[in-house]
Amino acid sequence: MAADSEPESEVFEITDFTTASEWERFISKVEEVLNDWKLIGNSLGRPLEKGIFTSGTWEEKSDEISFADFKFSVTHHYLVQESVDKEGKDEILEDAIPQSMQDLLCMNNDFPPRAHCLVRWYGLREFVVIAPAAHSDAVLSESKCNLLLSSVSIALGNTGCQVPLFVQIHHKWRRMYVGECQGPGIRTDFEMVHLRKVPNQYTHLSGLLDIFKSKIGCPLTPLPPVSIAIRFTYVLQDWQQYFWPQQPPDIDALVGGEVGGLEFGKLPFGACEDPISELHLATTWPHLTEGIIVDNDVYSDLDPIQAPHWSVRVRKADNPQCLLGDFVTEFFKICRRKESTDEILGRSTFEEEGREIADITHALSKLTEPTPVPIHKLSVSNMVHTAKKKIRKHRGLEESPLNNDVLNTILLFLFPDAASEKTLDGTTSIDNSNLPSESEDYNLYNQFKSAPSDSLTYKLALCLCMINFYHGGLKGVAHLWQEFVLEMRFRWENNFLIPGLTGGPPDLRCCLLHQKLQMLNCCIERKKARDEGKKTSDNITNTYPGDVGKAADLLGPDHRKDTDKEKGEVGKSWDSWSDSDEEFFECLSDTEELKGNGQESGKKGGPKEMVNLKPEGRLHQHGRLTLLHNGEPLYIPVTQEPAPMTEDLLEEQSEVLAKLGTSAEGAHLRARMQSACLLSDMESFKAANPGCILEDFVRWYSPRDYIEEEVIDEKGDVILKGELSARMKIPSNMWVEAWETAKPIPARRQRRLFDDTREAEKVLHYLAFQKPADLARHLLPCVIHAAVLKVKEEESLENISSVKKIIKQIISHSSKVLHFPNPEDKKLEEIIHQITNVEAIIARARSLKAKFGTEKCEQEEEKEDLERFVSCLLEQPEVLVTGAGRGHAGRIIHKLFVNAQRLTESSDEAAAMAPPEEELKRVGCPEERRHNPVSDFPAPAGRELILRTTVPRPAPYSKALPQRMYSVLTKEDFRLAGAFSSDTSFF
Amino acid sequence: MDEDVLTTLKILIIGESGVGKSSLLLRFTDDTFDPELAATIGVDFKVKTISVDGNKAKLAIWDTAGQERFRTLTPSYYRGAQGVILVYDVTRRDTFVKLDNWLNELETYCTRNDIVNMLVGNKIDKENREVDRNEGLKFARKHSMLFIEASAKTCDGVQCAFEELVEKIIQTPGLWESENQNKGVKLSHMEESHGGGACGGYCSVL
Ligand SMILES: Nc1nc2c(ncn2[C@@H]2O[C@H](COP(=O)(O)OP(=O)(O)OP(=O)(O)O)[C@@H](O)[C@H]2O)c(=O)[nH]1
Ligand SMILES: [Mg+2]
Repeated sequence: MAADSEPESEVFEITDFTTASEWERFISKVEEVLNDWKLIGNSLGRPLEKGIFTSGTWEEKSDEISFADFKFSVTHHYLVQESVDKEGKDEILEDAIPQSMQDLLCMNNDFPPRAHCLVRWYGLREFVVIAPAAHSDAVLSESKCNLLLSSVSIALGNTGCQVPLFVQIHHKWRRMYVGECQGPGIRTDFEMVHLRKVPNQYTHLSGLLDIFKSKIGCPLTPLPPVSIAIRFTYVLQDWQQYFWPQQPPDIDALVGGEVGGLEFGKLPFGACEDPISELHLATTWPHLTEGIIVDNDVYSDLDPIQAPHWSVRVRKADNPQCLLGDFVTEFFKICRRKESTDEILGRSTFEEEGREIADITHALSKLTEPTPVPIHKLSVSNMVHTAKKKIRKHRGLEESPLNNDVLNTILLFLFPDAASEKTLDGTTSIDNSNLPSESEDYNLYNQFKSAPSDSLTYKLALCLCMINFYHGGLKGVAHLWQEFVLEMRFRWENNFLIPGLTGGPPDLRCCLLHQKLQMLNCCIERKKARDEGKKTSDNITNTYPGDVGKAADLLGPDHRKDTDKEKGEVGKSWDSWSDSDEEFFECLSDTEELKGNGQESGKKGGPKEMVNLKPEGRLHQHGRLTLLHNGEPLYIPVTQEPAPMTEDLLEEQSEVLAKLGTSAEGAHLRARMQSACLLSDMESFKAANPGCILEDFVRWYSPRDYIEEEVIDEKGDVILKGELSARMKIPSNMWVEAWETAKPIPARRQRRLFDDTREAEKVLHYLAFQKPADLARHLLPCVIHAAVLKVKEEESLENISSVKKIIKQIISHSSKVLHFPNPEDKKLEEIIHQITNVEAIIARARSLKAKFGTEKCEQEEEKEDLERFVSCLLEQPEVLVTGAGRGHAGRIIHKLFVNAQRLTESSDEAAAMAPPEEELKRVGCPEERRHNPVSDFPAPAGRELILRTTVPRPAPYSKALPQRMYSVLTKEDFRLAGAFSSDTSFF
Repeated sequence: MDEDVLTTLKILIIGESGVGKSSLLLRFTDDTFDPELAATIGVDFKVKTISVDGNKAKLAIWDTAGQERFRTLTPSYYRGAQGVILVYDVTRRDTFVKLDNWLNELETYCTRNDIVNMLVGNKIDKENREVDRNEGLKFARKHSMLFIEASAKTCDGVQCAFEELVEKIIQTPGLWESENQNKGVKLSHMEESHGGGACGGYCSVL
């Protein structure tokens, strides 16, 4: 059997054959498995449909058995089929030819593009393989091969299993199988020859026919006709004349003075090398009969151009280098760096040099108690200058990682407001240039927990990504981050809102870093409002027109500012930098209050002492409600805004609250801890409504807890009578308690509920101590978000449905992974890998379109066909070329080969100068000699042949049974796989 | 802590003030009804371990205040919740009408999209019903929520509501799993291995 015998390395040892115990045990184990899998008896399926081997589903089942202590795996491979109704057929099937033997002759699935080799060789829909379990193990000696084969034979005979059973022999890579199939009184032997060198007579049809016939050894004359199927596969590797369309990124262009801010918001895309490496053309003659065609060692009728069937496969380059994938991967790598910003840039870079305080030892404490920097106008060049100076100072003469131009461009891109001489006002700088804010793409940040694509955070992520890739790597990243943090402090100290952030409290759907920046903005807003209030009250002309309106906006839409107010009410404690504990919530008062002041004093009613109190801090009247005791209109007070919170603060807070436990005391304490806001509101309410009672407060604050009923009074009139709800009336409940402690104090004179000074410092401190790795982790969701958008955008140009599907999967996968606080690296890598993968697919599509010239195609219909053909190439393992060599696509493919041949030809001429021995060898090769030198195609890289017939064996009076031989000849090897059936009943 | 507890689930109770959120929770955790329960300030918190289908789950339940003014605080507690119980009072139509606002808020602040929502119509023991059971049912169906009517006072439906919710959460893949247990999602295999001997027999010729 095995043509070349290997040295006898004893891979598995059988101790004693004579007792046969191990052997018998092995056979019975094989039988057991066959029984378990219910492979006994004949089960005829339906005839195989055309192409079902490719379109259908293949499954496999495995088990492990051992021969002595040598382990084998037994695997059942089968095409999943709808079960056929077996009822009533049984008698007819009794001595039918087994399914597998019939399949040997079926021509509907010759040359499947991707299949198990046994399927390709024998056309089987079902088979069992026994192979050494360990990949490195092998059954090498002939005696052992025979022993295995006879085990198989006995097991099949004992069980009545009609599924072919193979054993894999020799080293696995050789894919050598021998096997057997048994039916009632019939048997098929599966044999194989595998050679490295091809004997000359096997390279053509006539030689193979001779072997086939001699192998069958059919006693009949004339022999029944042999049917022939042939496929030649040609490989095209030379695309030279079709330059890969992707331009490699021009790094210099990005660094040059022309860098537009836009460049920094963009991600690169595409493969740097051709992602399509080979094209395989299979030319098939599906149905030839002996004698019709001549193919021998001197002449061949088999001209690929004339082949009735053409099909094409493309071979994709393994992991082509892709720009976007590289970009994201490199950014992800920062996550694993351990160095701090200081370690990367040199120590103490965060020291505030601008203040010219020499003592470096105070540098740290300054972070916690800062003083304002007296810079009033922000200019980028100014900033860059300072930072650069700082870096020089600490790192000697060394160049700073980012050059001025690049840094300037980035800072302008991130802070477009700094460019204009106008006031820095955060509201104007969100540019919705790319996406409408309602679109699904825009809201992707929601799923990725990243940040909106027009936000500062998102832009920062993209800039860092680019810096990391093109401008100084980790050092550049650290440098930019340092500049960014300085800018944040500058803005806080000078009341300049940060651009590119939506107002309001931190958006918990975004990444923590984004929330922190929003938090800082909240602090700046509050501080600014307070400082504005101070300025106006001190009659200082406002140097920043437009800012006051902003401050008033803060307090709610109904609130109007009044610049003339508040005179004389300003205390020293308003200083922004004073101890925060003494700080009061400040808001500008309103006109209502002024009016109220005047009107109130004249009126009467209610408890006297209350009337004497001047109402303060009114927002507006509450509908038509009047106070219960004195009938005065009920006013909604100006209240303190609740404290904005980032998710980490919230986490902390809810942890504290949860820790109080579930006991009654715990619950009480929890309520008390959260009652600051209630108390503050009650105080504001009391200040705005002198003479009010708890019922009044409840009517505004929790109207459902004030129950009104219509009752008929003494005079018989229907009047409304109201009272507090039962739960509000419970003595000493927290509401009553709070009401009793509340003093009439307007919001602006209350202690601040939100200490913006402290919170801002906390944020700035947090930012300053983020290592590049932390930063990269914060921003990775933004980068992934951007990469997905990029891939989506590129896909939309190509319209590849499979890619659309994968992108959807990536989005849903990412949203699951990124929503957890610390996603595993492995999962992140997987996402990045998937994005790269999509990028490669799109690049492949582009490459194929360029090669097939879909754009150049003028006729609309042809163009559509060609586009369809190209997209099929991407998605299917093999694509049929309509019209074969004469069709439109066929002609293009032909031309591709012709062009490639011309190139080889010219290099052949060069080869003619080579030493004569070389030349001789080349001519000596039968392949080459037979090949016409001016042919349009190279020698086929693969020649496959299937020969089939039905003849009686071993005697003329035996049953006529299917016989088949498959041969494949490639550059590396030659294989013959024969299935020869014989009648066993009369022997 | 109990070792056989499968997982901790975060559940949130929301709805207009006075609909009986705290009362429902008290009924569920302590099996009592306290008419002296004060209006909730901020958020309150209770824990209870229950077993559903033999799985033990620890519930961390956050009871929020329905009061307008506290509402700026509560959205933060929506974060990471796996289940939400939205309560209205069947004897007060206005609390039913406001449900839309609550759903809006949920949509805005919830961090995950596979959260399980349950609608509870409370106080069915009372005489003066204003919202018909069918209306509740219709609303729940429209917004794909679980639905049940209950009474914190008489105990009707309370236990059932929580159990139902937990069961649904456990059935929702990925919702209750912590990140470590969370298995990676398999993406379709676009890549094929080419040539080589290690393809398990499935190859093309070349
Ligand atoms: N009859 C009856 N009364 C109930 C029921 N549930 C609650 N209540 C009463 O309704 C009132 C409000 O109940 P709470 O549980 O405090 O309401 P809540 O929804 O927690 O209110 P907030 O904390 O303000 O949001 C209390 O007086 C309860 O006694 C019920 O099922 N039946
Ligand atoms: Mg409550």
